[in-house]
Amino acid sequence: MANSALLPAGFEALTPYVEAWAIHGGDARKRRRIASTPEERADFYGAALPLMKDALAHLDGFDLQAMPDPERRLLDLMLTLAHISLAIEKQGDNEPIHAVNHALFTITRSTEDWDSPDL
Amino acid sequence: MNSVSYQAVTKSDVASIGTNPIPAKPYYDEDYFRLEQEAIFKRAWLHVGRASEVAKPGQFIVREVEVANASVLIVRGEGGELRAFHNVCAHRGAELVEAKSGQASAFSCRYHRWTYGTDGAVRFIPDENAFFDLDKAKCSLAPIAIDTCAGFIFINLDRSPRMSLREFLGEDWFTRLESLHVGGGDMFSEYVFDVEANWKVAYDNFQEIYHGKFVHAHSIGKSITSNENPFGYPTKYEFSENGLHRSKTLWNNPGYEPTPVESHAYSINRAFAVKNPVAAAPTTDHYYLFPNVTFLAMRNRCFTQTIWPLGPHRTRSVIRQYWEGKDTNASLRFAREWQMASLLDVHSEDRDIIEASHKGLRSGAREFIHFQIHEVPLRHAFNAVDRWVREFQQEQAGAEAGR
Repeated sequence: MANSALLPAGFEALTPYVEAWAIHGGDARKRRRIASTPEERADFYGAALPLMKDALAHLDGFDLQAMPDPERRLLDLMLTLAHISLAIEKQGDNEPIHAVNHALFTITRSTEDWDSPDL
Repeated sequence: MNSVSYQAVTKSDVASIGTNPIPAKPYYDEDYFRLEQEAIFKRAWLHVGRASEVAKPGQFIVREVEVANASVLIVRGEGGELRAFHNVCAHRGAELVEAKSGQASAFSCRYHRWTYGTDGAVRFIPDENAFFDLDKAKCSLAPIAIDTCAGFIFINLDRSPRMSLREFLGEDWFTRLESLHVGGGDMFSEYVFDVEANWKVAYDNFQEIYHGKFVHAHSIGKSITSNENPFGYPTKYEFSENGLHRSKTLWNNPGYEPTPVESHAYSINRAFAVKNPVAAAPTTDHYYLFPNVTFLAMRNRCFTQTIWPLGPHRTRSVIRQYWEGKDTNASLRFAREWQMASLLDVHSEDRDIIEASHKGLRSGAREFIHFQIHEVPLRHAFNAVDRWVREFQQEQAGAEAGR
């Protein structure tokens, strides 16, 4: 099955979230947060948080510039979790109101952009 | 954690900066804004980037300074000199460099291919003989004064700056900034937002904590307040000897318990920073550099916020967090992403109240605004702005009378 290789072994539980949440680019992750529904956020956070520490520990064994695709997707999931956690842990019920202002911000550089040879 | 017990700043600590209400009009008046453009933004040293952005010979950045209608080309020369020029071709004034950053040994205007070296001298003019007695020595790029403090780049758009950067920051503040030992800080995260507000209304919001408990209840409210310091007030305010710059010492609730992802991000950042500090002598002092910069140097990151007027009623904030070195692993990237996103949340909580404040002031309904003890940085900032505006007006009046 094609899906079996989407994520590294041990993290299959996050496979259903890859399509929606494995997002490359800081600003794209931010925009995904703003576009999400409370139910979507709670579902993703609930699935990703219990695996966060194991996922990062696994990924720390790989070179950021030469990550296999399954690891790359898992990293992107974790980076999106960083954004979604703020909606869940901090803003809570206020997130829809907060999102109105948040949408008017642009992330022009996140640290992954420094992987680019142009920088 | 006893060392962080709260010591309140008193009225007598800050009364020397003034106690009267402040006139509201300068915060929205378009004539006052035009004076600020000339008196302040075309004369003060302006922070525009970090020296590491132009580390190698030929490396360049371009910064738009809308408030002065200027585009500034900053480039590292072949011999390592840092130079700044107006990004304007000497031929017919076209914008020279389109890219926002890059690496070049020469800059070529896309209009008629006049070409300049990194020292600003014109190197090549197509069909040069067709010009009439062209003096190439006068066709160099127009230079702009440039200098650095603590690795941060400042420019001055005045053709002959009235003071050096060192004099402008003051010996006391220059030394304080240098003594933070901001290291490489060669990587940064950045985000940008615009508000429909005067630049002072925007800047003021970030100079006081009084609103934190109310506006930031969701993000940082719990971490900056406690029973002993319910408003999360700073513990100290300091002012530069020349009256231009100021600082506030932040206080944080030592009993604050971070949330799950926050806690993990903190511990990753802390562990890395112990071995690789951005600022080797970190503080919790917010430095406010006249006219428009906020600067904080911590062990795991340096923060800068630069407030750029786009017009009398529109302002851009550019926020950077500088990190030490590239991400070494996934955990560090995750922790830095969280840190960037969490600060953005704080600023997004501020956005609409800044606009609401400007909207109200612009109506002209209030003649004065009122500052309490812990709004002394705002009062101090206004005093400096108004002093430069008045000095400029007096100079103009003197020049007028002398004619």
